[in-house]
Amino acid sequence: MNVRWDDVVDTTLVRSAVTQAVPRWRDQYGRASDVHVHVQLFGALASIAIERATNLVVPKPATVGDVVTALGERLGDAFLARVRDETGVKHRYCRLFVAGVPIEDLQTPIDADSIEIEMILLIASEGG
Amino acid sequence: MNMINVISSAPRPTDDVWIPSSCSLCYGTCSILAHRVDGVVVKIEGNPESAVGKGRLCGKGVSGIMTHYDPNRLMRPLRRTNPKKGLSEDPRWKEISWDEALDEISAVLRKVRAEDPRKLVVQRTTTVTASRVPFQTFAAAFGTPNFSVSGGGQHCGNGAHLISGMMHASWSIVPDFEYCNYAIYFGASKGHSAGHASCSNMGKAADARARGMKMVVVDPICNFAAAKATEWVPLRVGTDAALALAMCNVMVNELGIYDGPYLQAKTNAPYLIGPDKLYVRHPESKQPLVWDIWSNTARPFTDVAAADMALEGEFTVDGTRCRPSFHCLRDHLRKYTPEWAEEISTIGAATIRRLAKEFGTEARVGSTIVVEGVTLPYRPVAAIAFRGSQGHMNSVYNFYAVDLLNHLVGAADVVGSCLGFNPTSHGNPDTGKLRYIPSAGPDGLMVTGMWMGYHYPYPPSEPRLPTNLGLQDLFVLGMTSPFLDSTDREEMWERFDLPYRPEVMVNFGANLVMSIANKEAVAASLAKYKFMVSFDLFLTETSNFADIVLPDCSYLQSLDSRSNFPFIFSLPAGMGEWCWPIRQPVLPPDGEQRNCADVLLDIADRVGFRADLNAAYNASLNIQTPHRLEGETRYSYAQICDAELKNNFGTERGLDWFKEQGLVKWKKKPEEVYWRPFVDVRVPIYWEFMLPIGEKIAAIAEPRGLKIPMEYYQPLPDFLPCTSHCCQKKDFDFFAFYYRDIVHTNSFTMENPWLDEAARLDPFSYTIAINATEARKKALHDGQLVWVENEAGRKVKGRLKLTEAIHPEGIGIAAMCGHWSDGMPIAKGKGVFFNELLELDWAHVSPVNNNLDLCAKVRVVPVEVAP
Repeated sequence: MNVRWDDVVDTTLVRSAVTQAVPRWRDQYGRASDVHVHVQLFGALASIAIERATNLVVPKPATVGDVVTALGERLGDAFLARVRDETGVKHRYCRLFVAGVPIEDLQTPIDADSIEIEMILLIASEGG
Repeated sequence: MNMINVISSAPRPTDDVWIPSSCSLCYGTCSILAHRVDGVVVKIEGNPESAVGKGRLCGKGVSGIMTHYDPNRLMRPLRRTNPKKGLSEDPRWKEISWDEALDEISAVLRKVRAEDPRKLVVQRTTTVTASRVPFQTFAAAFGTPNFSVSGGGQHCGNGAHLISGMMHASWSIVPDFEYCNYAIYFGASKGHSAGHASCSNMGKAADARARGMKMVVVDPICNFAAAKATEWVPLRVGTDAALALAMCNVMVNELGIYDGPYLQAKTNAPYLIGPDKLYVRHPESKQPLVWDIWSNTARPFTDVAAADMALEGEFTVDGTRCRPSFHCLRDHLRKYTPEWAEEISTIGAATIRRLAKEFGTEARVGSTIVVEGVTLPYRPVAAIAFRGSQGHMNSVYNFYAVDLLNHLVGAADVVGSCLGFNPTSHGNPDTGKLRYIPSAGPDGLMVTGMWMGYHYPYPPSEPRLPTNLGLQDLFVLGMTSPFLDSTDREEMWERFDLPYRPEVMVNFGANLVMSIANKEAVAASLAKYKFMVSFDLFLTETSNFADIVLPDCSYLQSLDSRSNFPFIFSLPAGMGEWCWPIRQPVLPPDGEQRNCADVLLDIADRVGFRADLNAAYNASLNIQTPHRLEGETRYSYAQICDAELKNNFGTERGLDWFKEQGLVKWKKKPEEVYWRPFVDVRVPIYWEFMLPIGEKIAAIAEPRGLKIPMEYYQPLPDFLPCTSHCCQKKDFDFFAFYYRDIVHTNSFTMENPWLDEAARLDPFSYTIAINATEARKKALHDGQLVWVENEAGRKVKGRLKLTEAIHPEGIGIAAMCGHWSDGMPIAKGKGVFFNELLELDWAHVSPVNNNLDLCAKVRVVPVEVAP
């Protein structure tokens, strides 16, 4: 007797790995306003940027990807190419922290009036 | 003299403690207890409290005491006074102070960082697993992408690790020893030698054999693995894919053994393939289509129940003829008959059929078992590959073909099967940290939950014009690269318009002159660096190329907060415990020795990039508020370790707690270990992405004069010969290969006198193994001094050891012997330096993952004895 792979186990034993989306910010009138972003670049990203710390204002509702796009407009294509691929997906080796929390998905909404973002490339080849 | 009186009158020791820490004689990093009496370590044993070794410690581990107390250890910083660098140049070392050394290093690094940080190459040995973090963060903070692990990866990992990641979400694969009934090893050492979870695996393998697990070892030599196996299957070097493909063919096409439900639900076997060898996709969603048996239409794989997906058949979708990828695989396999494989591998067709039947039958396709109350698929077979099979031109297909055996019968990360090392963790139960689970990426194929390498195994990166020295931006299935040292590296860099050249190297313990290929090639690349600094225990063949050598602490003097993390690297697979041990100093530094991690922090402060380094540590260790390293604050390495431990295990479990306890552990759950049925991901039994990757690489490389052989970039595996298989030169009758001697790791344990004694007692460690029958045909005799010479005329000298336990065409040499540095006098002059036979250029690496081809066609010539 063969047993179906999707029938023999209780998949509820494993919680979803998907992080919950943060609600988009609205002011008291339900309108979107601006988010003030302080970006700090480190390592190779700092070496190709004019300045390692940058202040941006991004209209709400904003995602982390919106901030990256705004940074790209200021710092150029060479910067963007190191952060995300042609389809807009962040490279795995680019580590991005929003208020100290690591973010993988550039679609993650920003839910604050002002926010600190840190970015660094963490490339390593390994063996053994 | 009355000895009893003497002993009884001796003062009682004031210091008599057993200190929990971690070994570092190989990258297995087993947990140890070091017994210190009056400031002297008198014994090292395994730590029974830890899941990493479970109290077992190998010959290397117990001998670590002799490495630590070696009188040849470096004590003070050294500066070369001879500006000429070469294999025969004496550096003419001069002792200098730490301030002098760090001032000079900092001045050089400051200048290079201002010019172009990519001119710095950071390199480290893999022996000290935990050194990854301090050196990776240093490179990232400095701003260079040029980070390498020397021979590691180029020899043993580019194929094994990336494909294990793609197919099992882990760094390596191993049988589920507790439940496996039939394991077949293709050039692998898991459970019989050094490396990942070595002592744990040795115990588990021995227990499994005692329980009755059949172990078949396919290998050109019968030594550490095969000698303990049920059956040794000798094969011609580098032909593993031929055997594996023939076994797959027998199982699928002759015996009809495969796990249809597994292939439907957990692989891309049902995805429809068009005449262009690519997926047939939905015109709008672009999702791969499958043939829905229930509705008799083509639909996106996401819209069809697995049981309704056709695995075979010819279909037409919008005028395009297509077949499920399993159908393509099944047809593809038909040409790999056992008779064909016999010609390639020298293994008899009847043996191949028997092995395939045994593997397929023992898989018990369709069976289930209950483990700790959870019903799970049960497939008690495993096909395992590692360095031996993947260290060739055909690196990718060799490993891919072997792993197909597992996937055809559903023996992947379920009970008794081929397991990745801990691909799924639900996290520490107290804090929820260290949680990672594979997820579905593009086309529903698996993305690992945890990884360390340059590229994630899947999805592959887009090939682009390389900006790094190793060309990994272009060769996106590669990891560690030969092009930092290859003889054609300048040609490659010019070809791809690389706008800078390496000028400075920071090296940690890697002896790359010996660990990559022939010494002349690597020496030529090292001599071109304008400045090199090396952290070392001894003066090695490589440190003799340095401008400054820094005396490092040994593992008994060092601190590391994550000696065994990531869990995908060297925590034992299978049921048991999650375990996080640390390494802590058992002894203070001698002389002016300093721990490399603290020295790197000091250099960052002097150069002026501490803020970058703090950010890199936060990123690398995933340190989150409130433990994050802030701004330019000058943390010590101990403070950084403390922050990581508190971040992962709670404020009360900082460094002081871990120094007392040694480790933290918690129980694994069946749904973590046997995660595959619980996680909705698929793995590719048909590598549809290969053809586009090859075409994109060719589009960049071929206009620049580098031909990309597309036969290596096909979606289904093939047997493709090594350079050595194509050699037609007269008298070149043997395939030389190396094996890992069980008592030695990389090259550094050769200096250990206890291990050297063990190696001298072993008739093979320092000799050249040759098949006795074949040797006698050539009038060669035991103990004879011979030259072994490759096609290019490179040769090594050694004494023959005749044995029947080697393939008739094989010449087996223990790896990494043959030291010549005066700084390692125990090692000097012992054994044969195999790597001298390896060429280091594009023609001798896999065109896909750039793994070195680790075999050479050779002739054996007696050394003329002077009258």
